Amino acid sequence: MKVLELKNVNKIYNSTEVKVHAVNDVTMDFVEAEFAAIVGPSGSGKTTLLNLIGGLDMPTSGEIIIGGTNLSKLKPSQLIDFRLNNIGFVFQSYNLIPVLTAKENVEFIMTLQKWPEKERDERTFELLWAVGLGDRINSRPTKLSGGQQQRVAVARALASKPKFILADEPTANLDSKAATTLLEIMEKLNHESKITFIFSTHDPRVVKMAHRVITLEDGKVISDDIRELPA
Amino acid sequence: MKEEFKIAWRNLWRNRRRTIITSASVFFAVFFAVIMRSYQLGSYDHMINNFIESFTGYLQVQNVKYQDNPLIDNSFDYSDSIASAISEINKVVSVSPHLESFTLASSGTQTKGAAVIAIDTEKEKNFSDPESKLVKYRITDEAIRRLKDAGAISDNVLEKVKKNLGRSYSSSARLELELGLTDEEKELCMPEILKCSEVSNGFLANDDEGILVSDRLASYLKVAIGDSVILMGQGYHGVSATGIFPVRGIIKMPSPEIDNKLIIMTIPAAQKFYDAEGKITSLVVNLTDKSDRTIKTAKARINSLLPDKNTIAKTWYELNPILYQQIQGDSQSGAAMLALLYFIIFFGIFGTVLMMVSERKREFGVLVAIGMQKKKLKRIITMEMLLLGAIGLVCGLLASVPLILYFYYYPIMLKGELANMMEDWGWDAVMPTAWFGPYFYWQAVIVVLMVVLATIYPLRKIGKLKEIEALKG
Ligand SMILES: Nc1ncnc2c1ncn2[C@@H]1O[C@H](COP(=O)(O)OP(=O)(O)O)[C@@H](O)[C@H]1O
Ligand SMILES: [Mg+2]
Repeated sequence: MKVLELKNVNKIYNSTEVKVHAVNDVTMDFVEAEFAAIVGPSGSGKTTLLNLIGGLDMPTSGEIIIGGTNLSKLKPSQLIDFRLNNIGFVFQSYNLIPVLTAKENVEFIMTLQKWPEKERDERTFELLWAVGLGDRINSRPTKLSGGQQQRVAVARALASKPKFILADEPTANLDSKAATTLLEIMEKLNHESKITFIFSTHDPRVVKMAHRVITLEDGKVISDDIRELPA
Repeated sequence: MKEEFKIAWRNLWRNRRRTIITSASVFFAVFFAVIMRSYQLGSYDHMINNFIESFTGYLQVQNVKYQDNPLIDNSFDYSDSIASAISEINKVVSVSPHLESFTLASSGTQTKGAAVIAIDTEKEKNFSDPESKLVKYRITDEAIRRLKDAGAISDNVLEKVKKNLGRSYSSSARLELELGLTDEEKELCMPEILKCSEVSNGFLANDDEGILVSDRLASYLKVAIGDSVILMGQGYHGVSATGIFPVRGIIKMPSPEIDNKLIIMTIPAAQKFYDAEGKITSLVVNLTDKSDRTIKTAKARINSLLPDKNTIAKTWYELNPILYQQIQGDSQSGAAMLALLYFIIFFGIFGTVLMMVSERKREFGVLVAIGMQKKKLKRIITMEMLLLGAIGLVCGLLASVPLILYFYYYPIMLKGELANMMEDWGWDAVMPTAWFGPYFYWQAVIVVLMVVLATIYPLRKIGKLKEIEALKG
């Protein structure tokens, strides 16, 4: 089942003196339960592409369709609700609300979705155990390591039951051990939940773990290798 | 809502030191403003109560022209029925007719200008009560000699008595106060001093043809009870008024200025003297309280009782425009000072807001990116800002309550020149605070307004926030 379609998506930045074609005519699909990496050198357009897919930015031309909804048809406040209910986000750093504990950070997104308290509680515990932080549920982000913070962010992204999760260089600020642990957890959760993960990286060890590798260069998709079909 | 409040409250304590400093500045501003305002309003109240209640009254009925031109010609017709009709009005305490004018007073070779106030002896009791001002004790050479003869008085006390030679007093308490005796001396000597200095005095009967003369004027004219004073002035419609009046009593006025020139007689005697039958110059009305509403309602009711358009009620502030303007001016300069204080505090709050917004730009970006509506984020920030203001506000108000209460019941005693002056006028030389009123609640309104104003900035920032730019940090 298709969760995401891109049709001739372009993003051109005109603001600077030189015109930058950051995303150049990208057309591709993602289906349920994929575990896909977007790779490419710095400046190749990975962040721009993920921002477009996540509805954080609008393409110059082309269409992005998520579960049948064309993002460009949504009003700003509808788009925020759409993101809340359909897309999970893991950013490079400072993902979490610093004044809330790990548990509250995960719960928070379900509160926005107005889940009943009991189900919210159960799911929070389940997810924090799943990311290996069952014993740190009451810690504030400042008391957690960078890797632990990213794991809470993954738990939060999953909590809202999105169609897919976007992670822009989630391991960029982590040491290799923490990076590998994070990726293993992401892969396990992808396998169990059947939720698609799309992450960008230029770390070769992370790329190795991906089931699909999309390579960008100057905003163009130059290769799209599927190594392993989603289960 | 609960969730939003939790986040707002915790956000408030993220930068503990900054929150404490900001709250402390609000606290001090509120505390200072309340205390200062309370003292200011309290002292105006005290002043108005003393001054107005014993001089002009809260309202006066006059001929429209009388205030600018205080002549007998600008008097009006008066009957007891109008006085009793006015005294029926709600919240009216006293109604006292006056017929006032200036005359020359002479006796033997001495002549002096005198203010003659004609009163209704019964009705005046509830207003200025001249009977209470009759001289009861006088320190004369004769009195000192009798004291010496009686023995029993130490030289020390005698010296203190001698220092007050020539003075007269309308009460034993006043005499005691001015002698400045120690408690021991008081107990030993006061009865003897009172006995030796006591003088006999008289008052006016209802339709008396005689007069009361103020103490200093009497000594200038060299008159005593039983002597006569010749008065010369202008009567109604330009007739010349001349009469000879027996002195019935001597009164001691607290103010030296008034003590130098006051003569009191009855209204019938004055009407005959001025050839102004049935006329008075003013009707002094006192009320239970001086709130604007009470005064305005009473004024309107009184005016509706007065058939002649040229006879109207005027309020104390219409009658004393200079005093009123002074109070207003002082009050406004106090308010301006507080405005300046709050202005400074506002920039403190605003500085906190600016820092907060720049620190949290990225965080706002994450929140909106993962799906929090801007509306909700704005609510959280507004709550946080209101809490920030509320801490200082509530603490400031609470801290001022015991002080205001204490100094309301135990006002500060004034000392020095000002205190002597106030006591000379027969007032308590104290500076009380004002009871809690609008000035107290207004601080809350001001703080909330400041916070709301400061919050406009982050709310606009959130409104204009672009997720990808905010996420870049
Ligand atoms: N807001 C912007 N304005 C102008 N150019 C931009 C902007 N954002 C990104 N770019 C440019 O677009 C290109 C792609 O950037 P980016 O998506 O960040 O690449 P990556 O994430 O792969 O490093 C770069 O050349 C970058 O300079
Ligand atoms: Mg990037």
